[in-house]
Amino acid sequence: MEILRIEDLSFTYPETQDKALDGISFTVDKGQFIVICGSSGCGKTTLLRLIKKELAPHGEMSGKIYIDNRPQEELDDRTLAADIGFVMQNPENQIVTDKVWHELAFGLENLGEQTSVIRRRVGEMASYFGIQDWFRKATDQLSGGQKQLLNLASVMVMQPRLLILDEPTGQLDPIAAADFIATLQKLNRELGVTIIIAEHRLEEVFPIADKVIVMDKAVISACAEPREIAGILEDISHGHPMLAGLPSAVRIFAMTGGKGKCPLTVREGRDHIESNFKPVSESKEEEISQTVGKTVGAELKNVWFRYGRDEPDILRGLSLKAYKGELLCILGGNGTGKTTALNVISGLKKAYRGKILIGGRKISDYKGNSLYRGMLALLPQDPQTVFVRDSVRADMEELLADAAKGERERLVAQTAKKLGISHLLDKHPYDLSGGEQQKCALAKILLSQPQILLIDEPTKGLDAASKAELRELLRNMKQEGRTIIMVTHDVEFAAECADRCGLFFDGEIISEDSAKKFFALNNFYTTAANRIARGVYPDAVTCADVAEYCKKSKGENV
Amino acid sequence: MKAFDEIDPVAAAVYFVSVMLVGMFISAPMIQLFSLLGAAAFCLIGGRGEIKSDLGFYIPMFIMIALINPLFSHNGVTPLFFLNGNPVTLEAVIYGIVLAVMMTGILLWCRNFTKVMTSDKLLYIMGRAVPALSLTVSMALRFVPMFKRQMKKVSAAQKGMGLYSSKSYTDRIRGALRVFAAMVSWSLENAMETSCAMKARGYGLKGRTNFAIFRFTLRDCIFTVTTLLLLAAVIGGYALGYIDFYYYPRISAADINAGSAAVYVSFAVMAFLPFMIEVKEALKWKYFVSKI
Repeated sequence: MEILRIEDLSFTYPETQDKALDGISFTVDKGQFIVICGSSGCGKTTLLRLIKKELAPHGEMSGKIYIDNRPQEELDDRTLAADIGFVMQNPENQIVTDKVWHELAFGLENLGEQTSVIRRRVGEMASYFGIQDWFRKATDQLSGGQKQLLNLASVMVMQPRLLILDEPTGQLDPIAAADFIATLQKLNRELGVTIIIAEHRLEEVFPIADKVIVMDKAVISACAEPREIAGILEDISHGHPMLAGLPSAVRIFAMTGGKGKCPLTVREGRDHIESNFKPVSESKEEEISQTVGKTVGAELKNVWFRYGRDEPDILRGLSLKAYKGELLCILGGNGTGKTTALNVISGLKKAYRGKILIGGRKISDYKGNSLYRGMLALLPQDPQTVFVRDSVRADMEELLADAAKGERERLVAQTAKKLGISHLLDKHPYDLSGGEQQKCALAKILLSQPQILLIDEPTKGLDAASKAELRELLRNMKQEGRTIIMVTHDVEFAAECADRCGLFFDGEIISEDSAKKFFALNNFYTTAANRIARGVYPDAVTCADVAEYCKKSKGENV
Repeated sequence: MKAFDEIDPVAAAVYFVSVMLVGMFISAPMIQLFSLLGAAAFCLIGGRGEIKSDLGFYIPMFIMIALINPLFSHNGVTPLFFLNGNPVTLEAVIYGIVLAVMMTGILLWCRNFTKVMTSDKLLYIMGRAVPALSLTVSMALRFVPMFKRQMKKVSAAQKGMGLYSSKSYTDRIRGALRVFAAMVSWSLENAMETSCAMKARGYGLKGRTNFAIFRFTLRDCIFTVTTLLLLAAVIGGYALGYIDFYYYPRISAADINAGSAAVYVSFAVMAFLPFMIEVKEALKWKYFVSKI
């Protein structure tokens, strides 16, 4: 039984030439779990919003959307509102009211349900989602993961049959994201809710999807079961850009030219590697210590910090050294104090004990804002907070207020070119996509010529292509001799671009190694690729590493 | 949770308004005494706040009001002594004391009111009266902390780039303006998304209802009816002149008869109603616990 059928759907935004959607057709059966993926700007959001009539963007539309075999425009508003649920990316902005219970009731109030009905359904939902413990709390006191769960619950309370989610885990940390996906799976399996989800982070959703739709610039380039997707993309073009965003098991399978049943999970991936490839004779390369002979950019010695006199210590004797021309990556769980550590290094917060040396000088020796003049800059977690003007250009010029006009224009143009954002300069910062915002924020910060760059969680909500671009930018900055300290949850990203990694736990860095060694020695806190290949190639950390080893092993065994 | 906190907000509001109405407008000494004692008993048993530090406020205030009246009001026919050639009269002293009792009593009632009627209860009452307003207020309460947090983040982000943080005032003011302007566009952007989320959940459909987490039970009903009956008795008795009392020029003799006794008892019950509810619940618990 089909619940949704889309026929030849095209859409053009007003005052643009290019179609945002071009001839999209597909059907969704009742109870299916559909994953839509594609790089940002490929039209995913437009498509999802067109299905939810209330959110349909303005523009020229052709084609038909059938819900339960009836054209969308024939259905009345009340049914549409209740039957199709929609969850967006930002957990914060979707919450309407101040109390959790009121938020849960909001949709039912709109439908005009009686108090007794609302009470019952809200209670039911709160119990199902495990919300009862914070049922009477203010929505503002919730964590990001709880907020998104509340958004889901307050949509589910209206008992939708089709649930649409637009990158719902983009702003969550990996643990909250995994929880969220698990809840979706439970809804799908236990209640038979049909789910259409657009995602960048595919590691968790891929294995549970019934069908994956890959979109590429306004058209559907693949629509098949998850196990077939890699093959189809590989057929379209070798090294299709979307391949980089697929789960590690699928990527390794594709990279090694695998035939047969494509593995989806770490377990299947491991079986695939272990049954098809032999260990290679290791060429024992003595690892040259990367830190010898390098100058230290920033150093922390036994730093302690807490927010208030009676508050618990957040940093408990944190020590670290970051060298010039390297990227030090600090990994760790949520709320362990990684962001606080960056704030302390950047001088926004003052440590009450310990020594912080920036460029060989004590941080307290930098008077006024001389620390931020050519020395250090912090890129915060939310790139939006970097912008205060109404165009990227104006924002960048803000940092060059002292320079002459000609010089200013030259510097802005130069930096913009280097980061590949010249075409974005005259746009409003809020109109940019997440990846573009991140790049523009980086550009703004680079204008102060910092020797030390502190970056907080740069990959939040970015697609694979934007991540690759960011990686490239970071590499260039390293080559210019800057020191980069990055805080992140994103293990895969860290493995691909860090020189050294440290695990932040309980207020200090408890293990620190070169990136390869760090992940190879960790058992749990490591990349999916490493977990897949661990048994055969213990020091393969990224998908590319694994593929390399696999090729070598083939060469040896022939 | 205290027993009286569990009472429906509307019922509680009706009670507080009734008892304060009587306490403020009927100045008969017995009424004032019961009002003060009832409020104090409620304060004590509710364990609401630090009674010790409160005494430090209420006792001096009581004394001050009691002293000020005879010093400035020279009405009355029974002079006790003369101060700077002005008579200090017995009537003025007694009226001063009653006034102090009244003020203290009302303040204590107000205190109880703010402790019991938390913001969500007040919001609920307002919502019953004007439904559209309640959603607006709820959204505002949601928005304010979010706005504050974002503003802090933006300021910190600017500081982390070394912007607007030099010593010069013009730079700082310019920075504050910039951040505020950014916050305005952020708010608009934010509101757009929120309104999408609202539409997606059917906001704007006809026949919206208002859900409240509070429910008006039989117990609340009985409580309200009792309150109103007692209020009617007190006001009726007052209107019929059973408890007429004059302080000036000469203190009228307290005239105890069946009518006035009924009024006093009614008000005493009314003033001690919360106290009795609390005691009853406390005893009930004790009984339960001893049975377990």
